[in-house]
Amino acid sequence: MLKILIPTFMLFPTIWLVPGKWLWTATTAHSLVVASASLSWFKWCSETGWVAPNLYLALDPLSFPLAVLACWLVPLMIIASQNHVAHEPLTRQRTYISLLVSLQVFLILAFSAMDILTFYVMFEATLIPTLIIITRWGSQTERLSAGTYFMFYTLLGSLPLLVALLYLLNDTGTLSMHTLQYIQMTNPDTLGTMLWWVACLLAFLVKMPLYGVHLWLPKAHVEAPVAGSMVLAAVLLKLGGYGMMRMMVVLGPLTKEMAYPFIILALWGIIMTGSICLRQTDLKSLIAYSSVSHMGLVASGILIQTPWGFTGAIILMVAHGLASSALFCLANTSYERTHSRTMLLTRGLQMILPLMAAWWFLANLANLALPPLPNLMGELMIIVSVFNWSSWTILLTGLGTLITASYSLHLFLTTQRGPTPQHFISMDPSHTREHLLMALHLIPLLLLVLKPELMWGWCF
Amino acid sequence: MLSRFSRFGHSLTRFPYNRLCGTRLISHSPNSGAAGSATVSDLQPSHAKESHGHSEVSAFEKNPDFHGFSQDPIVDEWNMRMAFFFGISVAIVVGGTFIHYLPDHGMRQWARREAERLITQREAAGLPLMEENYYDPSKIVLPEAEEKNTL
Repeated sequence: MLKILIPTFMLFPTIWLVPGKWLWTATTAHSLVVASASLSWFKWCSETGWVAPNLYLALDPLSFPLAVLACWLVPLMIIASQNHVAHEPLTRQRTYISLLVSLQVFLILAFSAMDILTFYVMFEATLIPTLIIITRWGSQTERLSAGTYFMFYTLLGSLPLLVALLYLLNDTGTLSMHTLQYIQMTNPDTLGTMLWWVACLLAFLVKMPLYGVHLWLPKAHVEAPVAGSMVLAAVLLKLGGYGMMRMMVVLGPLTKEMAYPFIILALWGIIMTGSICLRQTDLKSLIAYSSVSHMGLVASGILIQTPWGFTGAIILMVAHGLASSALFCLANTSYERTHSRTMLLTRGLQMILPLMAAWWFLANLANLALPPLPNLMGELMIIVSVFNWSSWTILLTGLGTLITASYSLHLFLTTQRGPTPQHFISMDPSHTREHLLMALHLIPLLLLVLKPELMWGWCF
Repeated sequence: MLSRFSRFGHSLTRFPYNRLCGTRLISHSPNSGAAGSATVSDLQPSHAKESHGHSEVSAFEKNPDFHGFSQDPIVDEWNMRMAFFFGISVAIVVGGTFIHYLPDHGMRQWARREAERLITQREAAGLPLMEENYYDPSKIVLPEAEEKNTL
């Protein structure tokens, strides 16, 4: 663990001591080296479930795909935000990159924490840099209300979790993940236990987000700068899924009945948020709602609690992390040129930026789960396991898939095809940086097709 | 047909070729005939006007090989090289090779290869894929009935 954590911490001296001229070059190179080194987590030699275990930090097949994803996203965020932050004063640029790196530190610690309470602290700690990134570097005044929504939704959801965890700690004496699976609920039918069950999951359901408590997400996504949207979509939402999977072990037999309303809400959410996407006019808001829709599928996969459900959930989380982050980058490239997120004003871009249209096409295909991409693999596994639970769910999941394809087509056609609006006078051609950014998102997604067992979780 | 060509030509003129020729560009609203069409200056926030996309002097004017990293041509080129080397060569190529050659955890790939070989072998021999008695029943030592009761 320290092999990755110490180089990550050393990014702070790099950021603050390197000459201003070379700030972005040095931090990009350094963070890419850390990301490459983090691939060593995939070397899983022990026959126990854990990689590199010690008393406080360890990774297992559930957490290392997500930890590597967190490490991979930071250099991409640095490359993506270079254009709009580079005009600011040097100290502010350094602060910005420091916040991104601190997010990486918190995320690695959250995914590798051996104690649920440490995980909780790190889960909450990620709020602070994200909030600063949204409210300081967002582009409009609405960013303040978006920040408030983001902060209070997540905090209100997670305070009951703290109480539930302290109650559990008082009861069992430890919250270590090594022994967590042996905890047995003694009286599962009382109202108190049911409330405890809800408290344990609510924080993660808000973070995922589940349909009904998702309102903070589109606001945060729309107002955040590109790096904020990227990290939110790619990793922070996945903290919710990860936490749910960790807590599921403890929640025991109670989940069987208690999960019903939440599964229904998640599945219904797929349809509703998909339909919202179909009539969305704001580019970033559309991508944000599509994230909510995909996360609904992940939530139902986890709540079903079958091995296929869990595996599908991890696969979909990783694949969706890369695909939606790529879409946010693309939205940013058109925003930097047209200064508008309204889809009607940014249409017909294929004529002006043909190569970008190709990237849009690929990222859209990834988002709508084209075979053989891992997105499809994850969706299919979840749909099958949910279908196995109740065959009626195929109506919801099937319709959800159809709507996903429709709004992806709508997104592509509206932004790329059609006549170019008259108000585009001069527009920068696409830059090498933007193509590199897209390649760094989509190549890993394609390579994962060849070795999907990296993200199969416990079932491999 | 002619109108198609003229539309194509119109879109070509919108492309910033004139930047590459070293002319200065000032962002201004077009004289479009479309009624009520919003202009760029109305749509973009005030800070965006100074930002990169619609600045008066294009980055390509100073540096025709602009890669989008930095306004300084030397830093721009080095940043591009570093990002490509560490992103593509190290992370994706070397990292991908590392992941491809990871040890076979729990010998699962080996087991699958062996199983496939065994299936072909048994199918060729006309045998069922798996015997009904996977373990030889004569070799299984079961506890006596009395022992079971005492346990």
